[in-house]
Amino acid sequence: MSDKPVRVPYYPGCTMKTKALGFERSAMDCAEVIGFEMDELKDWNCCGASYPLTKDNLMGLTAPTNILVEAERRCQKEEVDPNLLTLCVFCYNTLKRTEYAFGQDKKKLETVNAFLDRKYDGSIRVIHYLEYLRDVIGFDNLAKMVKTDMSKYRVAPYYGCLLLKPKKEIGLDDPEDPVILHNFLDALGCKVIDFPAQVDCCGSYLVMREPKKVSKLSYDILADANEYGAETLVTACPLCQSNLDKSQGDKVQFADLDGMPVLYFTQLLAVAFGLDTKTHQLEAHHIDPRPLFEAKGAADDESK
Amino acid sequence: MLINPVEKDQKSIRELELATGETISDCYQCGKCTAGCPASMDPAPSVLIQYLKLGQFELARNAESIWSCMACLTCSERCPKNVSPAAIIEGLKNLHLRDMDPRVNLETMSRDFIAHSPQMAIISGFRKFI
Repeated sequence: MSDKPVRVPYYPGCTMKTKALGFERSAMDCAEVIGFEMDELKDWNCCGASYPLTKDNLMGLTAPTNILVEAERRCQKEEVDPNLLTLCVFCYNTLKRTEYAFGQDKKKLETVNAFLDRKYDGSIRVIHYLEYLRDVIGFDNLAKMVKTDMSKYRVAPYYGCLLLKPKKEIGLDDPEDPVILHNFLDALGCKVIDFPAQVDCCGSYLVMREPKKVSKLSYDILADANEYGAETLVTACPLCQSNLDKSQGDKVQFADLDGMPVLYFTQLLAVAFGLDTKTHQLEAHHIDPRPLFEAKGAADDESK
Repeated sequence: MLINPVEKDQKSIRELELATGETISDCYQCGKCTAGCPASMDPAPSVLIQYLKLGQFELARNAESIWSCMACLTCSERCPKNVSPAAIIEGLKNLHLRDMDPRVNLETMSRDFIAHSPQMAIISGFRKFI
């Protein structure tokens, strides 16, 4: 990597600053090792979290457009590539679909611009951190930066829904048979556990209305990963993380399943890089992943 | 069940198509949406669409199962006819919400949920239920 870190405009979103602070911090620490800087937009607002599926009301596009305008101005001013980096999968999905909608229909863009009284040209390309690792850094280069022997970790890659769907608009990977997280874990040197429930829905925002159903869906995913031999699960979505992790507090539903830590993929990347994970909020997880890390570390010491 | 829909229902179904941008008559009832639906909806997505195809607007609109949709988009992704059941269901939900008929009561919502859930869950929930 070059001496001077590349600065990539970055949109965090609300959850990243509160409940998923460990996701952001671990991602930033890893970026520093890899050689780029996540350059947070100065003035940002909530993206609205879920992209509106009805097409007759453009109000849902105003919040993401405001963010895209901010990113566009930043990129033009600093003369950097018009990319906007995201971590949260909901933000990624909402911003990416807004980008797509404007690309398809300039009239929509004009209407939203007129309403906001701002001028967005439509130049920004929304990218996910994983996408940046795959397409800009390269997983083969990432593999060279790994310091820890990760071969003892049996990790299930869990994709969920909004990182991949709808394929036509997101286009990151195949929504039925994705490989990006598999390849990421491969680069780290983990034992990748391919399991059928990797693209099943965790229940998402239904947790507000039917938490029991979310417990059941989360159980089905974790039990499946467990059956295929996984010790932990990685995800890129803070809501998947929350649902899968916290549902395990439902002792009735999870009676026959031992606790399985649910990690953000960057938290595992930080371990692979041998970074200090003190600020990565591992203690905030309902199922604490630290005993697993310690067990792997101890096994390492014994083998020496 | 009436097979010949009344005019009021036909008008509402046209409005739903305009709101969602979907063409309901494109559906040929293969059932892929229902097969993949993780929400165990009853009536299932393909049944809701069949109600609409038969002109039974109120049956679809008042189905309790629409509130269990998680917008995971599996149905829309798998539809061989390029219909988005998720969008149609969201359109049905919006008809209630635009009529000021919310499905989550903020006053009785658990404080524990608000304190410990990711913001994205709360904001999405507001969009889908209120």
